[in-house]
Amino acid sequence: MSFLNNYIYYIGALGLILIGLYIILVKRNLIKVIIGLSILDTGINLFLISIGYMSEGTAPIFEKGEAKLARMVDPVPQALVLTAIVIGVAVLALALSLAIRLYHHYGTLNLRKIREQRW
Amino acid sequence: MVNPVLLIVVPLGLSFAIPLFSLISKRIEKYIPVAALVFNLVVSLLLIPKVLKQPINVFIGGYLPPFCINLVAGPVGILFSALIALIGLLVSIYALDYIREGAKQLYHILYLLLLTGATGVVLTGDIFNLFVFFEILCISSYALVAYFGDRAGIESAVKYLIQGAVGSSLMLIGIGLLYGLFGTLNMADIARNIDSVSSISVFVPLVLLITGLGVEAAIFPLNAWLPDAHSSAPSSISAILSGIAIKVGIYALARVIFTIFGASSLLQFMVFLGLLTLLVGEVSAFSQNNIKRLLAYSSIGQIGLIVFALGIGITYGVVGGLFQLISHALSKALLFLAVGYMIYRSGSMDISALEGMGKRMPLTSLAFTIGAFSLVGFPPFIGFPSKFLIIRAALSKEEVLFTVLIAFVLLGTVIEGAYFFRVIQVLYFRGGQTDIKREEAPVPALIPIFILMILIVVIGIYPKPVTNLLNSASSELLNRIEYIRGVLG
Repeated sequence: MSFLNNYIYYIGALGLILIGLYIILVKRNLIKVIIGLSILDTGINLFLISIGYMSEGTAPIFEKGEAKLARMVDPVPQALVLTAIVIGVAVLALALSLAIRLYHHYGTLNLRKIREQRW
Repeated sequence: MVNPVLLIVVPLGLSFAIPLFSLISKRIEKYIPVAALVFNLVVSLLLIPKVLKQPINVFIGGYLPPFCINLVAGPVGILFSALIALIGLLVSIYALDYIREGAKQLYHILYLLLLTGATGVVLTGDIFNLFVFFEILCISSYALVAYFGDRAGIESAVKYLIQGAVGSSLMLIGIGLLYGLFGTLNMADIARNIDSVSSISVFVPLVLLITGLGVEAAIFPLNAWLPDAHSSAPSSISAILSGIAIKVGIYALARVIFTIFGASSLLQFMVFLGLLTLLVGEVSAFSQNNIKRLLAYSSIGQIGLIVFALGIGITYGVVGGLFQLISHALSKALLFLAVGYMIYRSGSMDISALEGMGKRMPLTSLAFTIGAFSLVGFPPFIGFPSKFLIIRAALSKEEVLFTVLIAFVLLGTVIEGAYFFRVIQVLYFRGGQTDIKREEAPVPALIPIFILMILIVVIGIYPKPVTNLLNSASSELLNRIEYIRGVLG
């Protein structure tokens, strides 16, 4: 069980990433594809945060000039995740607004039926 | 001394200041991108002589690398930022008249943001920072592809967005794995430690990064978005996407493969991938009836040629690849800008609708002809020295394999010539009407077209100043020890 205890976050993150990719590749409805993108993003964020995670760690703030290095979580992945969340929100918002316009034009969100552009 | 940070800060600040400027007067908002890009071009050109002596490192926040985010203004970075500023400036002059409808203010904001993102990618020395700038570039280009809001534009923007988002997600996983392995995001620091771990654990992030960046650089088989997006976007945006956006993808790919991973064993694979992309692009372009799709597929072919040349992995090859990159950026921008007003006047994107344009718009048709000749590689134009260098590099490897491969490259060039001549024939020699009125493109569109034509001819005849810069750029890419030492001291 120690394997699970040590790697549970990575396993969860990988699971979310694979679920997201599966949805994007298989689903036909654009809204579902966008949900898949969101799940993929969540999986990546969980993965990034678990790189720096440490159980019972504290925030990396120096007290009275001395650092308790042993029990501090790594702050860099948290900064990365914060940025990645913002980017994810921007992409999601743009995707949803494009979905609205797509529905106006075609009357459907089924991506298999929307294929006017071809090779 | 001019600080390279200004190359990113000034366009970024000005882009968000556009709504403020439009409070003063609605008419000045379209001149803001022109002003910002003039500034960028001047700064980049001023920095070239300094950078040729020594790369400039900027440490943001006052910490030393690897703890800070740093900018590396080496020959490669400044070469790209000058190219971005030049093409961006010419296209923004073109857009003064071309963009007449829709949310014009948002167009100018997004346009400047796109170029800010591109400049940031080529200057940064931090791999997560590279990701962030890439996202700025991508998100603004998704929105700009859908600018007209018509059926085709929205559909291609959705496709582009989904593929681009998956690509950048894969790239982010790769960056996360690299951070987990090395505990640093600085590209030079990662490059210094890359040999200290087993090659199999580096392989996964390498594959993820190449796949993620390959989507943006439109390398076969990750290029399904490109023909739709480039053909449905406004012509000014097509010129930027073909001239700048995919080139930035190539830059990031080269930086990852050459500098960070030093993966020389991968170069053979890149050569084959490049050749495949070239042939797929050219063959698909041959069967197109839509002029903008034809140009978009031709961009895929040219990207393949650039990847092929960079993959040869010797100095001549890298110089030839970068030269081809410049020549394609200039020529393809010229072609898209010329085609933009031809479509505007004829009202259709079909090649057959361009009949008689040689008489109706003689200057624009001349510009198209020069751009096409330059891409095919005719001598007085810039496409000739770049293709010549690539062939010379492949032959100087003195391997049977490369001789065979270069034959395929020349086959691709022949196909390219065939479909461009078909278009030129339609422009000049089809359609019997004699009483055609001259309807030239307006002056703001002719200025950038003329400047591009002059640049294509002048650099084609006298490539020496460019090749000097290219030589030091290629040595920066090939000599990763020097890069690491320059950043970390």
